[in-house]
Amino acid sequence: MARNQNARVSARSDDGGGMLPLILAIYADPEEPALIVRLQHRDPKALAELYDSYGRAAFALVLRVVRDRAIAEDLVQETFLRVWNRAHLIDSEKGALGPWLLAIARNRAIDYLRSSAGRERNAIELNETDHAPLYREMEAEILISDQARRVRAAMDRLAPNYRTVMELAYFEGLSQSEMSVKMGQPLGTIKTWVRTALQSLRNDLGVAVPS
Amino acid sequence: MNCDELRDHYDLYALDIAEEPERGEIRTHINRGCEVCMAGVKRSLETVALIGASAPEAEPSSQLRRRILASVGSAERRAGWIPWWAAALAIAALCVVAAYLGFNGREYERTVARLRSERREQTAQITSLTEAFAILSGPNTTEASFGGMQPMPPQGKVFLNPARGVLLIASNLPRTPANKIYEMWIIPKGAKPVPAGLFQAQENGSAMHVQAGTVDVRSTAAVAVTVENEAGADQPTTQPLIVAAVPPAPR
Ligand SMILES: [Zn+2]
Repeated sequence: MARNQNARVSARSDDGGGMLPLILAIYADPEEPALIVRLQHRDPKALAELYDSYGRAAFALVLRVVRDRAIAEDLVQETFLRVWNRAHLIDSEKGALGPWLLAIARNRAIDYLRSSAGRERNAIELNETDHAPLYREMEAEILISDQARRVRAAMDRLAPNYRTVMELAYFEGLSQSEMSVKMGQPLGTIKTWVRTALQSLRNDLGVAVPS
Repeated sequence: MNCDELRDHYDLYALDIAEEPERGEIRTHINRGCEVCMAGVKRSLETVALIGASAPEAEPSSQLRRRILASVGSAERRAGWIPWWAAALAIAALCVVAAYLGFNGREYERTVARLRSERREQTAQITSLTEAFAILSGPNTTEASFGGMQPMPPQGKVFLNPARGVLLIASNLPRTPANKIYEMWIIPKGAKPVPAGLFQAQENGSAMHVQAGTVDVRSTAAVAVTVENEAGADQPTTQPLIVAAVPPAPR
């Protein structure tokens, strides 16, 4: 928690832009633990607040995956209901609702994409990243439009190959071998690109690196 | 496998593209609470969440919020998140509404300034204004007046648009007693009134209320407003203080 507090302060004092330490902390909402508790107590107003914070980001993400507004809205609805029904899984002290919710939204969307394309499900059980306990103490209150713009800019700065593997994996739900076929590159190369891409993104956005 | 052999796979795992045996190994480490792997995967998940934020901006329909809240049994009707362009549109809409109501310039500027600066509360107002603008400017909007004959009483207009909903603009509304609220009703021909949202009047007795959504204008006899308990009612429990008879819809 102390780390979070510091991050918030330093991010605020660096408001002018330029270096972006801990981008995700800027809007860290000190009231979020209370919000989680209210969700766990099934307060519908808390769900409304959650939607106001993340509804748009979730919709944008899901729409990018499924490319159909009506379907995207259905999936976003499912996402929020899933969070509503599983709020007890998240740590009310240190949970990071936003990233968790987006992970669920993305999983719903990729799941839909795969089943509608009759594509074989990835060997990976997607729900794994619903994995609430991991969404703890993240420097993360993501995705207010201002930050989203910065993330997009950082994505744009990635070398094209790196950006492509990120997008294929994240938005299209392609496995490494599928990407390898699609991009005509050996599996090992794909693996390296993915890692390098995420690492550059981390560096560019100043996401905290643990010692 | 030990943590060191797995660290190169955390990013892949977070993206759901790790392969066996590493995927299963990482999962095992996490499930047994391995702090090294949990920290590593968490950091990867954090970065992966950022990719989600890089999706092109898009705005869900205003119904989605309502749908989600309704599906958990909440009837709350407040606005959703508003992007900058909707705020701009709302300010444009306010222009139209202001001109319509004959706001003076200063009052208008104050309102716009307030809209620009107050974030939270604004959201609801901006949505209403945007919806109001859609109704006012939409084709096939039917207009009905009320209160013209009485000396002091609420006066105003109702606009009904089949695709956009119902907009009520009123003045001279009395203050509601504590724990009471205004409720609008859409009264179909030969059927019971249908609740059409709750609202409060401003200090000066003016109010604007939007019930967004589709409305069957042809089969609507009137739009009415009653004073109800704060939670609203399913059927009117008091005499309406506004009744606007709806003329036949335009063809
Ligand atoms: Zn480990």
